[in-house]
Amino acid sequence: MGRTIKIAIYTGLVPSTTFIERLIQGLAENGLHIYLFGFQNKKNRTVKNTHYITYKTKLSKLVLLIKYSLLLIIFKKKDKKKLDKIILNQDKNTRQLKVKYYPVLYHCPDIFHLQWAKSIEDWLWVQEFGIKLILSLRGTHITISPIGDERWEKIYSQYFSRLDGFHAVSKSMVPIAQKFGALPEKIKVIRSGLDLKKLPFLSKTENNKSLNVISIGRSHWTKGYTYALDAMDLFSKENIDFNYTIVGVESDEELLYKRSQFELENKITFKETLPFAAVIALIRNADVLLLSSVEEGIANVVLEAMALGTLVISTDCGGMKEVVSDNENGFLVPSRDSEAIATALRNVSEMNIEAYKTITKAARNTIEKNHNYENMIVEMKDLYQTILKDQT
Amino acid sequence: MRIGVVLPSVPAYSETFFSNKIKGLKEHGFTVVVFVNNSKKNTYNFLKIKTAPKLNGNKFLVALVSIYKLIYSLFFHFKKSKNLYVLDSKDGVGFLQKIKNIISNSHIFSESLDWLHFGFGTMVLNKENVAKAIGAKMGVSFRGFDIGVYPIKNPNCYVNLWRKIDKIHVISNDIKDLVYQHGFKGKAEIIKITPAIDTTFFKNEEEQKYSDKNNFITIARLHWKKGLVYTLEALALLKEEDIPFHYTIIGDGSQLERLKFAAHQLNLSDQLTFTGKLEHDIIKSKLKNADVYLQYSIQEGFCNSVLEAQALGLLCIVSTAEGLSENIINNETGWVIPKCNPKALANKIKEVINLPQTEKQAFANNAKERVSKHFTIEQQQQQFVEFYKE
Repeated sequence: MGRTIKIAIYTGLVPSTTFIERLIQGLAENGLHIYLFGFQNKKNRTVKNTHYITYKTKLSKLVLLIKYSLLLIIFKKKDKKKLDKIILNQDKNTRQLKVKYYPVLYHCPDIFHLQWAKSIEDWLWVQEFGIKLILSLRGTHITISPIGDERWEKIYSQYFSRLDGFHAVSKSMVPIAQKFGALPEKIKVIRSGLDLKKLPFLSKTENNKSLNVISIGRSHWTKGYTYALDAMDLFSKENIDFNYTIVGVESDEELLYKRSQFELENKITFKETLPFAAVIALIRNADVLLLSSVEEGIANVVLEAMALGTLVISTDCGGMKEVVSDNENGFLVPSRDSEAIATALRNVSEMNIEAYKTITKAARNTIEKNHNYENMIVEMKDLYQTILKDQT
Repeated sequence: MRIGVVLPSVPAYSETFFSNKIKGLKEHGFTVVVFVNNSKKNTYNFLKIKTAPKLNGNKFLVALVSIYKLIYSLFFHFKKSKNLYVLDSKDGVGFLQKIKNIISNSHIFSESLDWLHFGFGTMVLNKENVAKAIGAKMGVSFRGFDIGVYPIKNPNCYVNLWRKIDKIHVISNDIKDLVYQHGFKGKAEIIKITPAIDTTFFKNEEEQKYSDKNNFITIARLHWKKGLVYTLEALALLKEEDIPFHYTIIGDGSQLERLKFAAHQLNLSDQLTFTGKLEHDIIKSKLKNADVYLQYSIQEGFCNSVLEAQALGLLCIVSTAEGLSENIINNETGWVIPKCNPKALANKIKEVINLPQTEKQAFANNAKERVSKHFTIEQQQQQFVEFYKE
């Protein structure tokens, strides 16, 4: 394709999570023009080919609204009229919608790539202006929300068949999206890719005296930390020295209560959310990364641990078995089963260093093969190009 | 005698238990004033309710209200305001907090009271000196979360309170133990008064018939401390053995999504009903249609619903969480099993549903009798009268 392709990657927040930022950067470096709309959360460094159309304060919102109202009146009068009609038909604050929609209409990207499913209703209009709409199938928006609240099930079932394409973060997302009417040929599984140069593999040379276990992730029930703590209670009765750190849950009442009931305050530490570099250092220091979730797509933190050379024990939920093969490159245990976690921890604690190395080396190979950054970018570009080709 | 009760909000009208308690005190010649933080409508025409000044929201309004309340307190309740300021100073409270305390307690200053009774331990925070400042004695109730969970998240939050308190009310022996665990040194008297229910309303003259459909029921806020995920996991074990059942959860709360997802993942969605919050009458009829009441809490003060279920003749299986083991006498009025252990719960449910009808009825009769003897509102009223009398 000769002309530049304009892609809007939309989460509503700029900058977004680490993995979405990584995607943006990679695409921009590969010659795509990336447009980011929404609320400017923090400052971010400017990247070549990336365009920020964001607001922060009430004033900047107003300026944005005036600027794009004028630009549309001058250059795209007809389109503006059409969009205003659509806005009026929505049962929402019209000025808010204008702030959100006008810049998108003006810049008119080739593809609007929506990251979170719950806002699907807000963005269907872009298709009326020839913009292709793609949705990423990721996170609790897909796996949990439609089960917790029928409203989402209805909305997804109503709209999924209309979208131009889907990016699934794991195979496990595919049947869920199909249930809501997504056509299988429109779904492409593109696994999260890591910048492996920044995550060098370091093999362990000796066992730690005490088993260091770590979990990382926000304070949310889907992370299954209650099962991890129940497991630690069981494990603590085995006379094996250990310590367990959860990063991201500093003041979770339920977990604090459990820890106090088990009287494991000196073995279990809760830490606040930490910057990426600090998390990486903690994973490297740990003997085991434990993923106790009841639901996941593919947890990035598991990929990172596998890249770094830290052994993973993961529940078999969502797409985790697409990465972790039990006893080959880590350990898989059933979800909601604290006894199984405790048993796996005991097995790891009894493992000799050679066996540990074999498994972690296999884990690194898996990541290099299936989760490298370059592949992710190429595949994503492919997805965009296929969708744009369909058009012509 | 004049008693002020400090509560987060005006109790809902359905909390007959609360209104009866106040009525009982009035019948014994007490005057009761209720102090609340948020101003919902007063549904009790016989009750005097005073609302705390609203100190959140629009900053300009807050400033205005604060200045007005401060001037008002200094002008009309100078002595009480000064007392509070001096007492707070002795405790090393910062200047701004001292001023804030005068403002936020201004609604209490206008009453002269013999007792100022805080309905929950957490209500006392930043009000430790208010009772003394107005010349009243300080009573505090500990009910569960306020002593079971809050101090774990906020260690030493009650240090000041323990020094000032005149009498402590707890609702179970386990709660009493927790009070000591969290730093109370025995400087004041601790009185246990268990919750009570309206035994004239929750009453079942007929013998309960237990069906083989196995209708299980729980009434609970959808909160982690209610242990509902563990309950669902236990039911999943029953399902694996093809034991028929239906489970109804009455109540609402923040954990609905978590529970629905657990039910989905455990393949229980068809055998589970979330009714949301229901009125008293409907709750009663739902209970009457059920066979087994489950209260498998992780943390629990005492639990009135378990009393109500017993009064109606249900078979009750509960966890060992705090007051529950006093609420139910194990193997006599029901069953008490270790908490957070789905296998133990599943086994106990199996055992109970397989008991012969006569034995089930014997348990239910024991429970009915005990509740009607020991957990009536009249008794509770009498105990509170004694509490304030010295």
